[in-house]
Amino acid sequence: MYSFVLTIPALLLAIIFILVPIADSIIKSFLRYGVKNIISGKPGVWNNGANYAKLVSSGMLPNAVRNTLWFVAFVILFQFLLGMALALVLNAKAMRGARLFRSLMMMPWVVPTVISALIWMWLFQPQYGLVKYLVALLSGGTVTSLAVLNNPQTALGGVAVAALWKQIPLMTLLLLAGLQNVPAEIVEAAIIDGAGPIRRFFHVTMPYMSSVIKVTISMSIIENYKQFPLFWTMTGGGPDGATTTLAILSYREAFVSMNLGSGAAVTTLWMVLMIVTISLYDKVFRTPDLT
Amino acid sequence: MIKKHHESIKRRFIHEKGIIGSNGFAVGRVHGVCGRLGRERIVEVVRTSDHQGRQLRLVGEGYEDFWKGIKTGFEAKYPDIKLEWVTAPYGEIVNQVVNMAGGGDKVDVIFSELGWVPGLEDAGLAAPVTDLLPKEFLDDFYPEVLDSFNIDGKPYGIPLYISPYVLYYNKNLFKEAGLDPDKPPKTYDEMLRMAERLSLLKDKNGNRVYAFGQTTASVPVSGASLTAMVYNFGGEVLTADGKLDCDNQGFHDAIAMLKTLNDKGYNPQNAKLKDLRNLFALGQLAMYYDQSWGFNGVKSINPDAVNFTASASPLAGGKGTGQSLLQSHCFVLVDNGKKDAVDKFVEYVISADQLNGYLENLTPAYPAKKSMADMEGVVNNGVLQGAAASASNVKRETFIPALNDLNLELCTLAQAVTVSGKPVEEAISAFKKAAGAKIQ
Repeated sequence: MYSFVLTIPALLLAIIFILVPIADSIIKSFLRYGVKNIISGKPGVWNNGANYAKLVSSGMLPNAVRNTLWFVAFVILFQFLLGMALALVLNAKAMRGARLFRSLMMMPWVVPTVISALIWMWLFQPQYGLVKYLVALLSGGTVTSLAVLNNPQTALGGVAVAALWKQIPLMTLLLLAGLQNVPAEIVEAAIIDGAGPIRRFFHVTMPYMSSVIKVTISMSIIENYKQFPLFWTMTGGGPDGATTTLAILSYREAFVSMNLGSGAAVTTLWMVLMIVTISLYDKVFRTPDLT
Repeated sequence: MIKKHHESIKRRFIHEKGIIGSNGFAVGRVHGVCGRLGRERIVEVVRTSDHQGRQLRLVGEGYEDFWKGIKTGFEAKYPDIKLEWVTAPYGEIVNQVVNMAGGGDKVDVIFSELGWVPGLEDAGLAAPVTDLLPKEFLDDFYPEVLDSFNIDGKPYGIPLYISPYVLYYNKNLFKEAGLDPDKPPKTYDEMLRMAERLSLLKDKNGNRVYAFGQTTASVPVSGASLTAMVYNFGGEVLTADGKLDCDNQGFHDAIAMLKTLNDKGYNPQNAKLKDLRNLFALGQLAMYYDQSWGFNGVKSINPDAVNFTASASPLAGGKGTGQSLLQSHCFVLVDNGKKDAVDKFVEYVISADQLNGYLENLTPAYPAKKSMADMEGVVNNGVLQGAAASASNVKRETFIPALNDLNLELCTLAQAVTVSGKPVEEAISAFKKAAGAKIQ
């Protein structure tokens, strides 16, 4: 009983600030509910799922879901690979200046996301961007035209690069913390048993890091599912819908069209998709118990 | 009585402007002007004569000082009325106003773009200006201009100044291409012929010169510019009762022209207006469509642009006469029971005394009032002269609440026929499906 009483504040906070808004959003997704309803205080009108029907009939939903999933998968894959590689380098005993490098490496992470977006937008600028200049230089002048964000085939990749630049430092730091907690005696035992570096990595280091990896990737999935400022600043969802994700679609419905009910319909579907993804991830990557 | 004499007008002024950092790294960004003053870096390299003291203060110090001056001057003239600024990033102004109103805190006057008016009216935040401003003041506005703000027969905004999408062109590049700099194109066909020559030019660094710029990036103002282009061809986007109307020749011709411009490599792909201003200022773009005040962005990048820039009326295409879409910065008024103070404020700002220097040096535009037609700042503005006639050849756009989202769909359509290379008919068909769902 006493323990239940202690959990009441946390429960209340969760109910008031998480469950009630979610329920409110789901209800509003079935209403004709606009900005004027907020201002006038008038309730919305039940519209029999017309908000969902509109999303389907406009043809924008499948594209937004596809782009969101592609972006999340791409960023997480490369974020993990590059973050792990950097963490291994920084964890190496022979690495001189690791502390300084670690501090410098964190710089992209502390830059506000909108500023990161502006920086990358100008780096990718097709007429006078640095990326175009470097590619022309490195290709010996054979590639003179590179418009990453203007090409529907490459725009999503361009935003993903900006996201990677911003997010890899945190991933690296968390993985580095995990690496430093791998028991040294277990690693030594593996060396005595004749395990090479690759075998040690996959059979000793990775299992001991699995809980850190799982939490880090879960955080990253959520972070990238809800990525909005990079897209809105860099491409606004274009060109030709190539970077329209669920976050962009939701914003456009709610705050550009001022149709909050339709925006709520997108966020409801978005939430369901995120829950399914995290649940699947949780099921597939079970953390082994090494205690 | 005390309450009446101490009415507080909450207002917001936001302007958009390119800012150039000391490293030459150009960043088009937005910023609030009044309220958190002194926070902005406004680099305004404009030279002017000192024949009018007040205007000098506007020049060189930027928008902030204009609005600062308005507050000082207004409160000195009407000491019983206090102005209170509310600021927000430019792109968030509507959301900010809505959020405040949702919390029961409605501002009294909103500095707005014409395209925001239907959304604000739909949200219940705009009052008919005829309810708050005297008839004699309103009678001074050009009727067709005031008509552009009409929703169900009543105007819901009052313009400070207006502009169609004008054609800016670089006289130096015209000369280099062997074209007469005093004879800009009048039709799209003429433009295409001139573009053939202009596109062969290189700037002094060997960069290519784009012949013609039409913004198509995914921002609402690009959609408004595309609507203007449809009007150039005599087309429609919406019916008078707000239904989608794109099965007309003018609409098809305009989209086909975008494809032609793209296929010939004349138009910088997927460019925002600020990208076009950059290119134009750097001598890498020969002609482009912009609101008249866009020239201020050009000038802030290259002060010498004053010497090579001229304006012309929008081009006529197909069966169109080169009509354009009126753009305006305006005040949207909220009826909070402060009619007298709001009226005094609006009349104070929208006057030749306050706007002459502003229009001459800071925001080149055409006056919305008949009594301001001969203002020195407008009549003597060399950059605006060429397009002066176009201000009266404009078409009223039907207002719908989802106008901004429709504009974004127009951008997607333009991108479909340009960067995606889709056929015009296929792209228009997809546009009809997406836009139709948005405005149903």
